[in-house]
Amino acid sequence: MAEEQKEAKPKKRTTATKAAASIGPLVKEFITGTLQAKAEGKQKVAYTFIVCHHEEIFRALDVVPVWTENFAGICGAKRDAERFLQRAESLGLSRSLCTYALCGIGFDQWREELGQMPPDAPWGGQVRPDFMISSGQILCDPRSKWYQASQQFMPDVPIYNIDLPYPLYQVNRDHREVLGYYHQYIVKQLRGLVAFLEEQTKKKMDYDRLRELVGLSDRTWNLIEETYDLRKAVPCPMGTGDAMNTMVPINFMMATQKAYDFFVDLKKELEEKIARGEGEVENEKYRLMWGGGLPAWYALNDFNYFNSKGASFPAETTYRMVAPLHEMDLPETKDPIEHLAWRWLGYWTFWYDRARKRPGSEPDVERLINRIEEYKIDGVVMHEAFSCRTWHVGLIWQLHQLSKIYKPIPVYVIGKDGKKEKGYRELPSLVLESDIIDITSYSEVDTRNKIDAFVETLESIRTSRAA
Amino acid sequence: MSFVLGIDIGSAQSKGVILGDQGSLGSFECASGGDFKLTAEKIREELLSQAERSVDDISRTVATGYGSKLVIFADEIKSDIVCLAKGVSSLLPSVRTAIDIGDLYTKVLRTDGHGNVHSFILSGKCAGGSGRILQVIARVLQVKVDEIGELSLKSKKRVEFNTGCAVFAETEAISRLSQEVAKEDLLAGLHRALAAQINSLAERLGVEQDVAMVGGGARDIGLIRAVKEIRGHDILVPPHPHMIAALGAALIARESLTIQD
Amino acid sequence: MGDKQSTISDIVKNYYNNYGLRAKELKGEGKQFIGYVCSLVPLEIITASGCIPFRVRGSVYEPITRGDTLLETIVCPYYRSVFDLSVKGKYDFLSGMVIPHGCDSMVRSFSAWSYGLPFSYFHFVNIPSVCDESSFEFFDSELGAFKKSLEKFTGKAITEEHLRQAIRVHNENRDKVRALYELRKTDPPLISGTELTMTLTAGSSLPIEESNDLFDQVLTGVKGRKNSLPQKGPRIFIDGACLDNIELIKLVEELGGNVVADTICNGARDHLPKTDVGGDSIEALSRRYLGKVNCPKTYRANKAGTFEGDIANRFGDIGTYAREFKADGAILYVYKYCDPFGFEVPARKAYYHSLNLPLLHLEDIYSAGTMGQLRTRVQAFLEMIG
Repeated sequence: MAEEQKEAKPKKRTTATKAAASIGPLVKEFITGTLQAKAEGKQKVAYTFIVCHHEEIFRALDVVPVWTENFAGICGAKRDAERFLQRAESLGLSRSLCTYALCGIGFDQWREELGQMPPDAPWGGQVRPDFMISSGQILCDPRSKWYQASQQFMPDVPIYNIDLPYPLYQVNRDHREVLGYYHQYIVKQLRGLVAFLEEQTKKKMDYDRLRELVGLSDRTWNLIEETYDLRKAVPCPMGTGDAMNTMVPINFMMATQKAYDFFVDLKKELEEKIARGEGEVENEKYRLMWGGGLPAWYALNDFNYFNSKGASFPAETTYRMVAPLHEMDLPETKDPIEHLAWRWLGYWTFWYDRARKRPGSEPDVERLINRIEEYKIDGVVMHEAFSCRTWHVGLIWQLHQLSKIYKPIPVYVIGKDGKKEKGYRELPSLVLESDIIDITSYSEVDTRNKIDAFVETLESIRTSRAA
Repeated sequence: MSFVLGIDIGSAQSKGVILGDQGSLGSFECASGGDFKLTAEKIREELLSQAERSVDDISRTVATGYGSKLVIFADEIKSDIVCLAKGVSSLLPSVRTAIDIGDLYTKVLRTDGHGNVHSFILSGKCAGGSGRILQVIARVLQVKVDEIGELSLKSKKRVEFNTGCAVFAETEAISRLSQEVAKEDLLAGLHRALAAQINSLAERLGVEQDVAMVGGGARDIGLIRAVKEIRGHDILVPPHPHMIAALGAALIARESLTIQD
Repeated sequence: MGDKQSTISDIVKNYYNNYGLRAKELKGEGKQFIGYVCSLVPLEIITASGCIPFRVRGSVYEPITRGDTLLETIVCPYYRSVFDLSVKGKYDFLSGMVIPHGCDSMVRSFSAWSYGLPFSYFHFVNIPSVCDESSFEFFDSELGAFKKSLEKFTGKAITEEHLRQAIRVHNENRDKVRALYELRKTDPPLISGTELTMTLTAGSSLPIEESNDLFDQVLTGVKGRKNSLPQKGPRIFIDGACLDNIELIKLVEELGGNVVADTICNGARDHLPKTDVGGDSIEALSRRYLGKVNCPKTYRANKAGTFEGDIANRFGDIGTYAREFKADGAILYVYKYCDPFGFEVPARKAYYHSLNLPLLHLEDIYSAGTMGQLRTRVQAFLEMIG
């Protein structure tokens, strides 16, 4: 009889690629970089959020971005968010709110109260900003509220809030009807940002430099697409676990040569792995997609746990915040700000036309179907982080709609008359529940029991699949 | 003649089944207690004594359930989803959707009559709808858990709960008691609320008939009736519904013997 | 309680308890009702199209039984309830539904609504998150698109004259609500908070002209009372999102307080700000809904440069109401999972402190079942300030 059957539980998460392994130090480097920039005082340091298509503007004016969501994520990954969350709660903020924001506000309040970094602040702590750039875009209420709440404890730090809406998908409307005024608005908002930053930095925008930086990030977008497309290979050379590292250059380093070079290296590494037939897991049995939800940053090991069961993650929807520019049909313009606005709209409406062509489809559902087919996916895993409505409301509806309109698995079932009948069924899915950084919401035992059951279900489907 | 064991260590109750070539030779249930390892040993001993066999006679043991990883003598650990599908298909092959009412979770799974699982879903943290609330209420009302089903059927005037949230349902139930409602009416209301949660979970997965209810909670006829009412169709309940996962585990143990042969 | 039965109009109670009753009747006569959620949907445009706006409500008495199949439980319990009732078919008499960008949950669940409900018209109105001049220009265009979608739905053009007429009659409605609020200024108030909330809630289920008539009737009825119905007690201000049921207000009043003013969506937020007349109608609506409806969802820049100055600007309406209605204390009532209000709790607390107005902050789910738990806290608060 077998001895105790324990799954390998690596303390430190292992990555499939060297590139992903190099990310940790990189993040540490730019956190220390912000502290250094502040100390030297030559560059202005600004709190801000990812996915606002404003990195080029920041960098053209030499403003150092402090990605506050990133810092909260680091606190989470280091399992050191709880004391900041508790501090936020003691201010009257509910634990049910976005825990990134709670962590950030708790940290800010503490730092301001002490006049210095809180004790043992992760990686030296989050620097006091010169100003804060928030973005109340169509998604994410906490973004417009977070810095406003933090400002209570540092009222001398100004906020500039840019609005970046995009037209929501409506079945019976061609979004092109409204793109014009959306574009005009976004352009004005981004120009407002330029004016604010010029005033803060006492510099004039160099539009040639801005144009170059926009060109650089466009090239990076395309390169990321090409690189991630390589993950279609069987076996898959890089999974979502790694992509939760490689999201760093996508989301925190855009418009830098370093980000571009990172993907040159990653692409080369993946090509080599594919040539050697090397997969993320040794014996790839199941190909899964991370179909929605931000990860539990303190539990990225769960990806390794999936891997230990032969499950690889060739695709995800989370943090792949780029789309192929050549498929977007963006209007030509010499004005880099106008281009940023078009690219913004192009990204968010990318799946609209395709969704309209498939009855019952919808952009998020369409994207799932597309990835399932392109990446030969056997099952969809999602994560519902209780504190974030922005990325986690609508997921179960997407799964519901997906199962309604897309049934790719042939099966034999015993009919009422006792005869075997061939039918088609939807892809199986698994919804994990916890949070982005609130570890009190997470149970490793429950999560892994669910993963076990899901992998056994995948196996059951594999063996019962009709020819 | 070969003998196999299926052992299901749940968070509240643990169950075991012993199978010979001709079928079941015994079954046993006890509280899981604090020491799952010890509980597993106890179940094995009890099953062996029922079948008049010794440890060496057992060809294979499959463990399942919340504490399955602590069944150190098991040859294999299987998730309860797979075991439930196997168990329910062996007894009720027409079942396509099985609902397992456990202590911590309610689980719904879709199967094909052969014991293959196609998909499953577990009740969420917030949605509630697991069997624990019944135990809590039984304690509050000072009735035995296995009596609440019968009792609730006597209800003439069901209490309507305002919330479906398990945490609030508990406090609401207690506050209703202070308003002197009859026990059976309270239980009927609770069954209704729980049934609505269960139904909502099942609908999230998608329901194909026939539908069976299994697990400890399926012994509660009041709950079964409430689910039937909400769904508007019949619900099958196998005999000894709480044993289904253990039975499935034993069947899996036997199958892998056949494959090895 | 007994007298209350005889004084508040039976019609109000009937419309409140059988919500949607009149809509069902009028649907039979060929009228089209368009449902909406949130204070940010420009109702005048719906009225101008010839359709009738209908505020979709939740129910604190009904557990969520179907909504969870399609919508995550991390959505605020109010919106979950509204969605649950809708998918259960409670509002099937509606012809359409308008959802604004009131919060992330409204955005993210729009597909669940528009694919899951049997209405022939759906529209999403995007609301800017900031209030720059360019935001108003954008919002003008967005309202233009909303108007166009309704024209497409009804097959009839909405003229400037239609809009002016609609603005006029909605402003009349707001004047009447203002007059109802005026009845709360005496001590004790002439109308209880429970009655007022029931009246306003009933009104949002009616064609605007009928709502005007109903409010007139309540005004006359209350003014004709020989004795003020409420007794003297602590005068309470309620601050929060949508409270489209009377449970909390009733609880305060049962415990001896009087609810005299509020910021709630189906109270002051919906009903008090008026639309400017005389200029371009769409622009005026854009000014009202983005500029005047004070919802935490909209970011208003800190122009003062100090925290005190900022909260005085952002929450100034609270101070004005509190003085005008002589509030003795306030209850900040926030739903769990509500990001827009949730993140403002520390600042709002600070603002009440600056007003010297005692505050009780309650976080709740949307269920009558929790009132028992709230009772002790509300009671202690009333005793403290009373």
